[in-house]
Amino acid sequence: MGTATAKKTDPVLAALVDIVGEGNATDALHIRYAYSYDLSFVEPKLPDYVVMASTVEQIQEILKLANREKIPVVPYTAGTNIGGLTIPERGGILLDLKRMNKIIEIDTQDLVAIIEPGVSHAQLAAELAKHNLRFGWPVGPPSASVSSCAISHGIGGMNARYGLQSQEITSMEVVLPTGELVRVGSCAIQPKAWHSTLPLPKLDGLFKGWLGTTGIVTKLAVNVHPAPPILKIFTVSCDTVEDMVSYMFNLSNYEICDDLTAVSWWLSQVPIPYPYRPKPDDAPEWNSYATTYSWTDKEREAREEIWQKVVEEEQARGSSVKVTHYPEEALRGRTQLPSQVVGSTKNYCKMAGAGISWPGTFTPAKKWAPVYTRWKKILIEHNLSPAVRMSMYRGVHYGMLRAMIPFNKQSKEETENARRAIIECLKIDLDEGGIPYKPPVDFAREINARAHPGYLMLLKRVKAMLDPNDIMNPGKLGI
Amino acid sequence: MEWKIPSLEELEHYVWRCTACGTCRVAYDFGPPPFYAPICPAGEEFGFEGNMSSKGKIAFARGILDGTLSFEDPAFLEAIYKCTVCGGCQTQCQLDHKPFIPEIIEGMRRKAVEQGYGPLPPHKNLVQSLKSYDNPYQGPRRMRTDWMRPFKKAGRPIKDINKEPAETLFYVGCTGAFNKQAQGVPVATASIFQKLGIDFGCLGQNEVCCGSTAMRVGDAEAFKRVATQNLETFRKLKEEKGVKRIVTSCAGCYRAIKKDYALASDYEEIMDGLEVIHTADFLHRLWKEGKLTFKGELDMKVTYHDPCHTGRHLNKFRVDTEGEELWPGAYLDVSEEECLYDQPRELLKAIPGVELVEMARIRGNSYCCGGGGGVMTGFGDWAAKNAGLRIAEGMSTGAQHMVSICPFCHYNLNAGAKLIGSEMKLYDLTELLDQVL
Repeated sequence: MGTATAKKTDPVLAALVDIVGEGNATDALHIRYAYSYDLSFVEPKLPDYVVMASTVEQIQEILKLANREKIPVVPYTAGTNIGGLTIPERGGILLDLKRMNKIIEIDTQDLVAIIEPGVSHAQLAAELAKHNLRFGWPVGPPSASVSSCAISHGIGGMNARYGLQSQEITSMEVVLPTGELVRVGSCAIQPKAWHSTLPLPKLDGLFKGWLGTTGIVTKLAVNVHPAPPILKIFTVSCDTVEDMVSYMFNLSNYEICDDLTAVSWWLSQVPIPYPYRPKPDDAPEWNSYATTYSWTDKEREAREEIWQKVVEEEQARGSSVKVTHYPEEALRGRTQLPSQVVGSTKNYCKMAGAGISWPGTFTPAKKWAPVYTRWKKILIEHNLSPAVRMSMYRGVHYGMLRAMIPFNKQSKEETENARRAIIECLKIDLDEGGIPYKPPVDFAREINARAHPGYLMLLKRVKAMLDPNDIMNPGKLGI
Repeated sequence: MEWKIPSLEELEHYVWRCTACGTCRVAYDFGPPPFYAPICPAGEEFGFEGNMSSKGKIAFARGILDGTLSFEDPAFLEAIYKCTVCGGCQTQCQLDHKPFIPEIIEGMRRKAVEQGYGPLPPHKNLVQSLKSYDNPYQGPRRMRTDWMRPFKKAGRPIKDINKEPAETLFYVGCTGAFNKQAQGVPVATASIFQKLGIDFGCLGQNEVCCGSTAMRVGDAEAFKRVATQNLETFRKLKEEKGVKRIVTSCAGCYRAIKKDYALASDYEEIMDGLEVIHTADFLHRLWKEGKLTFKGELDMKVTYHDPCHTGRHLNKFRVDTEGEELWPGAYLDVSEEECLYDQPRELLKAIPGVELVEMARIRGNSYCCGGGGGVMTGFGDWAAKNAGLRIAEGMSTGAQHMVSICPFCHYNLNAGAKLIGSEMKLYDLTELLDQVL
C-alpha cells in the first residue's frame, strides 16, 4: 500500500502506522481515491491519509496526533450518505471505522443495543431478529452504519411512532477531537447502565447533527423495540398533494402507524424516471403507505377501523383519496427493511446512473403542499422527476419532506444541473421554515445565511470548545 | 477465430452505473428472518474501501479511466489483483453494471497486461508455464497422465480419445492432473465412469489448459491461444471421434468452456451438438434416470461448499441490450438455472448414511474459498487464511468434513484447514460417490 516507503519520509504516516499497525494506515493514491467521492454531486476531494482503527485507544492516539499537528480528521463508516459528508474538505486523515463493528450487547430487558460505529443495519437487524426485536431501519443500504445514521438524525421505518433515530440514542462514548474520552447519558454515571440520556443534561446533543465535527462516537446505545407479529400496510392514492396531506394530517392524529409516508408518482416508480417524463394521465399523483404492527388480530382490526374511518371522512369532504394498490416492488422496498431494493439505489438511480442527491428536510406538514408545488415546477424545468416523499413524524404535524434526485454522474453538465435544481428547491423550503438534514456544505451555507446570529455564535463557540484546532471534519458546517 | 473480449474502455458506461452505495459489501437478505454475513474476502482481509467488493474495484476502474491511477504504481498494480473475482459482491448489486462486475475487474487486469505492467510476477510464471507446457503448473506434458497409472495397472486403462472414438470426453483440467493433492478428483471421476460403463476417453498428454487462469489474471492473449486450440480440438473430436459430450470435474474449466469460450466467434458453430457438463451435473442426471445407484453406505456428517465457478459465475443475466424493455444496457433479471446448487446437494443427500448440514453462506451467497482470481498464486498466504475462515464456518455446523466440486477449492480449503489446525478434510463429491458405487 505504499506504507513502507512513505513511512521513511512522512513522519505523520509513520506515526499513524505506529498507532494502527502496518497495513492499516496508508497514503497510497488508489486507496485515497476510493474515499474521494460518494453518491452525491459534491466535488471529489482526496484525503491525505486513510487509517483504519480497531480500538478506542487507537482513535484517541490518532486524534491526539491530529490535534497536535493540526491535521483534519474525517470519520467514516460506510460513506453511504448522499451529502458528501465524508468527502474531506481540507484533506487530512480519513478515519475508517468499519472494523469497529461489534454488537457489544443487546439488553433484552432494558431494550437497548450497545454497538460500535461500524455495525451495519443488516448486521444489527439479523441479531435483533434472534430476540424478536426491531429498530427503525432507514431506506438506505443494508451495509450502512447504524451509528452514523442515528447521530446524523436519520429517519427510519418507525419514524411516526418513535421519531428520529437520534431520539432512540440512550448513551454514548465519544473521543473528543483532543483525544479525550467522554461519556454522555446514563453510562457516564454507571459504566454498565446504557438505558437513557434523561434526566441528565442532554449532552448527547453535542454530538448529534454535527456531521462528525465534534468528536468520534465509539460506542452508541439505542433503544430497540419488540416486534409485533402482525403487519398491516394501509395504502391509498390521491390525485393532488393537498388531498394527500389532508389524509396524512387526519390519520396521524390517531398515532396508529409506525410509518406514515406518501410518495409522488415519480418516486413510486422503480426506478425514478430519468430524465423527467410526465406521469400517465390515469395514474394518481400520490401514493401512501402506512405501516402498522399489531400483537393480535383484534388490535389490527381496531387499527383498520380507524384507518377506514379516516378514509371515509376524507372522501366525504370531497377528497380524491382512494384505497389502492401500491406498486409492489416499491412497497416491498419501503416496508421490508433493510432492503436491497432501496439500499442498492435501484429505486433511485438505476435509470440515471451513479448520482443521487436531495433536498432532504424536516418541514411543517402544512407547508408540504405549497413547497412540493414549487419544487415540482423547478425540477421539471430542470428535466428532473419530482420524486418527492413526505413522512409524518411522531404524532405531530411535522416531518420529512424530500426529493430524491438521481442524475447521470458521468456527465458534469447533468450533475451540475441536478445540483442547481436541488439548491433552488432547498432555498424554497428553508424560506418556508423547513430544515435540511445531513446537509452538504452547499446547504450549510444556505442554512447559516438565514440563521439567528445568536445561533451561529453558539454553534461556533461550542465547536471551538470541543475542537479548538478545528480538526474534526472541518468545513462541513459552513462556519 | 475472432474473440470479443471487452476492454475497460468498452465497459466504461457500466463503470458509471455504480453509485458507490456499498450494498455489495455484505450478503444480506430480508428474510424473515434477516440474513447478514460478510461476503468479500478482500474486504475482510484488507479493509480499505478500494479493496472492498465491487464498490472499491469500480473506484479503481474510475481512477484508471479518468487518468488518476496508473499501473506504474506497483502498489496499485498489486491492488487490482487483490480480489478473488468471486462474484459475491455481484450477487448483492441491483444496478445496471451488475452483470459486468467481473468483466470490469478483469478488464482492469487486461489493461495492465496490455500496458506491460501486469500480471504480478507469480502470475507471469504461471502464464509462461502455460506457454511452455500448456499448463500453469510447470509440469512436463508427460506428467499429465500420472493419475491414470493405477487404471492401467489394474487393467482398466483410460481410453485415449486421440486414437479411439468415444461419446464422452473427460476433460481433466490441469489442477486435477498436476496438483497431487487434487489428483483424487480425476481418479474418482474416471473410476465412477468405468463403474457406470460410460464410454469415455481423455486427451492425455495432448490435453491443453482451458486458459481460465490466464483469463482471470488478465492475459487475454495467452487465454485466446489455448482456448482457440481447445475449441479446434473439440471440433475435431466431434467430427472425427464422435464426441457428443465434454465432461469436466473442474469448476474453473467448466466455467471457462461454458462462459469464456462463448466469447469466440465460432463458439456456437463448434459447440453445436456438443454438450458441456460438469461431472456433478452429469452424475446427478444419471441418478435421476436411475442409472446411478448406491451399493454402499458412508457414515458421515458433511457440509457443502459452493464453488464460485459452478455457482454464481454461471448466473445468466438478462440485459436489455437494445433498450426494448427499459433502456439500452439496462439490467433486467438474473436466472440461477445453470448454477449447480441443487445437483451436488441432492446427490449428497442420496448417499446412504450421509447427513448434509448447511453453512450460513451458501448458494449465491457462498463465501469464496479465497483461491480464485489468481489469488492463490499471487497471495498464497492470504488465500489459505481465507480458506481457514471458510473451514471454520464449516466446522461451526458440526460437520466432520466439507465436500465440494472444484479441485481448486479442494486444494485451497485443505490448506486452510491445515493452517487453522482443523481436522476437517475436503472431499470432492466424486470421491464420496466413488466409495458407494
